[in-house]
Amino acid sequence: MATAVPARRSRFLLVGLVLAHLTAISHQVDGGSGVSLLQRALLGVLGPLQRGVGATLGGASELWRGWAFHRDTYAENRRLREQVRSLETELQLRSFKAQESVRLRELLELRQTVPLDTLAALVVGRDGVPWFRTITLDKGEQDGVKLDAAVISATGVVGRVFAVGPHAARVQVLLDRDSGIAALVERSRVSGVISGQVAGNESGSEDLVFKYVSERADVAVGDLVVTSGLDRIYPKGLVIGRVRFVGQVTGLFRDVRVEPSARFERLEEVLVVRQPPPPLEMTRSVE
Amino acid sequence: MSRALWTAAALAGAVLVETGLAHLVTAPGRYLDPFLLVVVYCALVFGETHGMLAGAAAGWVQDALFGGRVLGISGLSKLLVGYAVGIGAGRFLIATTAARALVVMLASLADALLLQWLASVFSLEALFLPPLALATRATLSALVGGLLFALVDQRLARARA
Repeated sequence: MATAVPARRSRFLLVGLVLAHLTAISHQVDGGSGVSLLQRALLGVLGPLQRGVGATLGGASELWRGWAFHRDTYAENRRLREQVRSLETELQLRSFKAQESVRLRELLELRQTVPLDTLAALVVGRDGVPWFRTITLDKGEQDGVKLDAAVISATGVVGRVFAVGPHAARVQVLLDRDSGIAALVERSRVSGVISGQVAGNESGSEDLVFKYVSERADVAVGDLVVTSGLDRIYPKGLVIGRVRFVGQVTGLFRDVRVEPSARFERLEEVLVVRQPPPPLEMTRSVE
Repeated sequence: MSRALWTAAALAGAVLVETGLAHLVTAPGRYLDPFLLVVVYCALVFGETHGMLAGAAAGWVQDALFGGRVLGISGLSKLLVGYAVGIGAGRFLIATTAARALVVMLASLADALLLQWLASVFSLEALFLPPLALATRATLSALVGGLLFALVDQRLARARA
């Protein structure tokens, strides 16, 4: 007997019913581990697809996290670099302050030791060559700096003021060939004149020359040389340096070299002697 | 009487027969499946759609009343059998008692094999019949079915007349 229902509709119905039955059966059947058979079948079919999608999404997620991490790391790296630079700068500043503190303490100790009226000044300029002969101070006439005022540091005599302005002064240091200080050997009291060896733009030894030392004078390497005060510029007893070399007699005098105590290449703060030694006044003369 | 009512009545009769057989023999399904006869007859007479709907309904009733703990196994197998028989009936002239008996035999074999296959697929305990038992069951179903279908046809013919 022919059916009135079209075959196509019948096939759809068949498929639907079969699927409905499979679903119903699988819901009742435990596929193991508490999972229904339909779920197991679906997992079997969809599992690889799901794993592929999961792997793709996982890879993309990992890539994204990696990129985000890299971006954060890069930003953090930049921030840390800036912080390191800032801290290095601060450290240098602190180190500079500490060194300055040490120097100022030394200078203060010198100022308290030397019974002179002194003025602290900063070195604000110097010759642009290693064998410089002059330095510039930040104190001038209005601060009480006078021409020919002696300039000393914590380690030794520096030089004398040879030019003075209202707020600055220039100092001829001992290294200059044209400088001259009346000096004496502390131990033997042998006197002479100390001067430098540097002239013009020529390089020269930083050793000082102890002039006018007679051949019989008692001078030995290591002797301390101090100012004698005879030049009326430098107060007596300031340290100039130590004898480094005692040579042969040339002419009338012995060749003596002195290593200066002042560290000229590191000079930053100095003391300017405001009250020079009083001039010698001859009140009476031998008739 | 509409097809649905007729099918329902036939299924009710199958329930009675199965129940009765259960009182006579142990596991009557080993020898005869009255629900399958209803399905084959519906498919032969009303076509594949009605055949598969009848198969589904018969299977669910059988599972619910006489089957195991999983519903739908017999429903699925009888659904497929009903559809196949209906398709066959639409393409071949299956009018004689012998032809119908042959169809019942084939349907019985198909139903049993389908059941066993589905049971194995779903890892279920089922009645696995050896080939001889299958053949016996198919033959018995064919004989009963052929006779029954002829009687029903006569009754229906008289009713129409």
